[in-house]
Amino acid sequence: MAKHDTPLLDQLESGPWPSFVSDLKQEAEKRAKNEAGHELQIPVDVVDDLLGILELSFKHGKTHWKHGGIVGVFGYGGGVIGRYCDQPELFPGVAHFHTMRIAQPGAKFYTSDYLRQLTDIWDRRGSGITNMHGSTGDIIFIGTTTPQLEEIYYEISHNMNQDLGGSGSNLRTPADCIGQARCEYACYDTQDLCYNLTMEYQDELHRPAFPYKFKFKFDGCPNGCVAAIARSDMSFIGTWKDDIRIDDEAVKAYVGGEFAPNGGAHADGDWGAFDIQKEIIALCPTGCMKYEDGKLEIDNRECTRCMHCINAMPRALRIGKETGCSILCGAKAPILDGAQMGSLVVPFVEVNADDDYQAIKDVIEPLWDWWMEEGKNRERLGETMKRLGFNALLEATGIAPVPQHVQEPRSNPYIFWKEEEVEGGWTRDIDEFRKDHQR
Amino acid sequence: MAFVSSGYNPDKPMENRISDIGPRKYDEFYPEVIKNNKGKWLYHDILEPGILVHVAESGDKIYTIRCGGARLMSTSLINEICDIADKHCDGHLRFTTRNNIEFMVDSEDKVKPLKEDLESRKFAGGSYKFPIGGTGAGITNIVHTQGWIHCHTPATDASGPVKAAMDVLFDDFKSMRLPAHLRVSLACCLNMCGAVHCSDIAILGYHRKPPLLDHEYLDKLCEIPLAIAACPTAAIKPSKVEFKGQEVKSVAVKDDRCMFCGNCYTMCPSMPLADKEGDGIVIMAGGKVSNRISAPKFSKVVVAFLPNEAPRWPQTTTVIKNMVDAYASNANKYERLGEWAERIGWERFFDICELDFTHHLIDDFRDPAYYTWRQTTNFKF
Amino acid sequence: MEQAEAAEMVVEALRKKLKSKSKFYFNDLSKILGMKPRAAKKYVNKMVEDGVLEYWSSGSTSMYGIPGTGKQAAAEHED
Repeated sequence: MAKHDTPLLDQLESGPWPSFVSDLKQEAEKRAKNEAGHELQIPVDVVDDLLGILELSFKHGKTHWKHGGIVGVFGYGGGVIGRYCDQPELFPGVAHFHTMRIAQPGAKFYTSDYLRQLTDIWDRRGSGITNMHGSTGDIIFIGTTTPQLEEIYYEISHNMNQDLGGSGSNLRTPADCIGQARCEYACYDTQDLCYNLTMEYQDELHRPAFPYKFKFKFDGCPNGCVAAIARSDMSFIGTWKDDIRIDDEAVKAYVGGEFAPNGGAHADGDWGAFDIQKEIIALCPTGCMKYEDGKLEIDNRECTRCMHCINAMPRALRIGKETGCSILCGAKAPILDGAQMGSLVVPFVEVNADDDYQAIKDVIEPLWDWWMEEGKNRERLGETMKRLGFNALLEATGIAPVPQHVQEPRSNPYIFWKEEEVEGGWTRDIDEFRKDHQR
Repeated sequence: MAFVSSGYNPDKPMENRISDIGPRKYDEFYPEVIKNNKGKWLYHDILEPGILVHVAESGDKIYTIRCGGARLMSTSLINEICDIADKHCDGHLRFTTRNNIEFMVDSEDKVKPLKEDLESRKFAGGSYKFPIGGTGAGITNIVHTQGWIHCHTPATDASGPVKAAMDVLFDDFKSMRLPAHLRVSLACCLNMCGAVHCSDIAILGYHRKPPLLDHEYLDKLCEIPLAIAACPTAAIKPSKVEFKGQEVKSVAVKDDRCMFCGNCYTMCPSMPLADKEGDGIVIMAGGKVSNRISAPKFSKVVVAFLPNEAPRWPQTTTVIKNMVDAYASNANKYERLGEWAERIGWERFFDICELDFTHHLIDDFRDPAYYTWRQTTNFKF
Repeated sequence: MEQAEAAEMVVEALRKKLKSKSKFYFNDLSKILGMKPRAAKKYVNKMVEDGVLEYWSSGSTSMYGIPGTGKQAAAEHED
């Protein structure tokens, strides 16, 4: 028997898409039965009360949560978000209901053993409700009380070799695409670079000292499956410098209709037979391809590696062999001055595990030094870049300006020349001037 | 319920403390066939919606079945996912960036039993636990934020509208009829902790009333300088207010400068802004993150406001469904929603999608606004 | 600089401002210490570990304060 009536939520149990309401209800029942015989460390009816308070929000059209300033476990300034409900008498089970962020493994591969260890801890010490996963990538444990935070951290760190993720003005838990683990487009090992930098910068991840949040995301190719270019202060997007590899026989097979284009992604549309001129050559944004006399040619020097032809004919075309990544900086959501995409800072850098990715760290650290010193409170890197200018970033990181940095050169001539750039400097003698010019 | 210690000693927090160990290393969790073929994949095919095969240089294959899931998930359901992984996949599984669950097997004969098993599992209320789909030129899972289940500044719910929208879009999750893939995202307030600003279709919660001021308690519960500093538009200033004959310290809000972000409420619980009539949904469209064919794009506001209609948000889901159908029948193959809108012109987009254009949709926020006005005589009637 | 000296500088500066606010950004602390942020961080981390300072978080932004000060702790009924 449900503790609270939920007539509004009940209407979300029908329909084909997985119903979170049904799931919450099954969890409430599981806790009530407690067949595992757990010594439950937070109220047994926590999920009932979560359903109850959500029903109230559906009725009121308003949230019933308040923010709390609690930050983490001892010595950490992130990983926990404080939450309190504003109807603790009606819903005592969720009166104190904090979130914990658990750092997810690369590309979110799991084993059942590992996940069962997590769910066991969370059944005993928390609500049993999670997000798989949060927006940044962490596993999110939704809802526990303050005394349980240290206990949970102790158990995950001692028994599972597992740490918390980031929140607040920290390096946030970095996230990566599936990369070389299962994707033929990946230009570098996203999981390894993500893991290496995550481990290198644990202090930045746990102890806040930045002006605001800072995100790393790792996309193996310009398709951008983790949306690095839109969501991360620093995005590492795989690319290559040499030629797209062509398998002429496979191209013929696409043209002949033996292979479905785009890996069969358009199977249910009524698109007719594959037309290489219309679907590949004409759509190439740089016009650097031609297909004549049964042969595909690419002028690779003019290619901007947009991935369209490779996506459309994956069995015929492969990324080049001289691979690395581009680094873009400053992406953020719209608040406050509008959304920003990442701007290209490093067109190409080798992603080299052998020297511990030193070339990449040589970009990150000066950039952080600059932002930590110059950034205003609650200013994302992209906003600091906008306020102080792209040149200030290049200067701070010692990166030489190249035409690839801009979409187009400036359309105003208001260049703030520096004295040292102008022959003879700015100190002049008025008497010298007057020798040639009367007053 | 008796308190059970983990071994942690609150008097000596640093005793036996383990810290800075990070996440578990990725390769501990790779299935065998991934371990053996990492970096050596040749190509992939989508065998049917939701089922992929990746082929390696070695000739090895990995078959992936992708299932949608509510990202709000109980441990019961996670344990059930583990049972499935144990039964079919040697205990391995993964989640995607868009909250899908992927089960992987190393030979084709294992696909059918896994598929049948997944399709047979339903919740008590009748919905699928593991609907298969979300690949290719279709609609995959909606990424979203917390909403009313756990956030303190949402202007709408997250799980509710997502469930309602995915029910309406379910056929396109299960098929690949669209011109290109279409990404839907939801963020429950303008802070966008789930960055929806580059989605084909974005559902965004938005408040429309400035915060209430609980003068009686404000100075008792809040540090006024922090509330003032929290405001991104400098709309809050300190003020002295007469309350029940007493002068109390409080704040004043310049209402016409308020952008309804709720940052002040985060710092000061005496400044709540949620409101049943004020809060609702903005629909944005035409964004993308991929560099394919054209550069990544921001989503644009196409509907300024729709009310919160719990539990199924019918106006919101209808607008979305109409937009998807208009896109499906009008765009060219490979063309993303935003690319289509730009090719035909946004004026035509509003026509075809039967959306009203109101003054709210003309940008008037700071510098970037100018660049969105039309500076050419080229337009369509 | 000795850790104790740094802690004293920070506590003294923060106490002076306690009347108006109890929470401070990291930048405020590095300015008090007169150090570059990354250098100041080592001292500040230690101050937190020693219980001289504590964190406060809005979820998206983090701040520092002297333990037990401020108004919000009472509002959260955690003490």
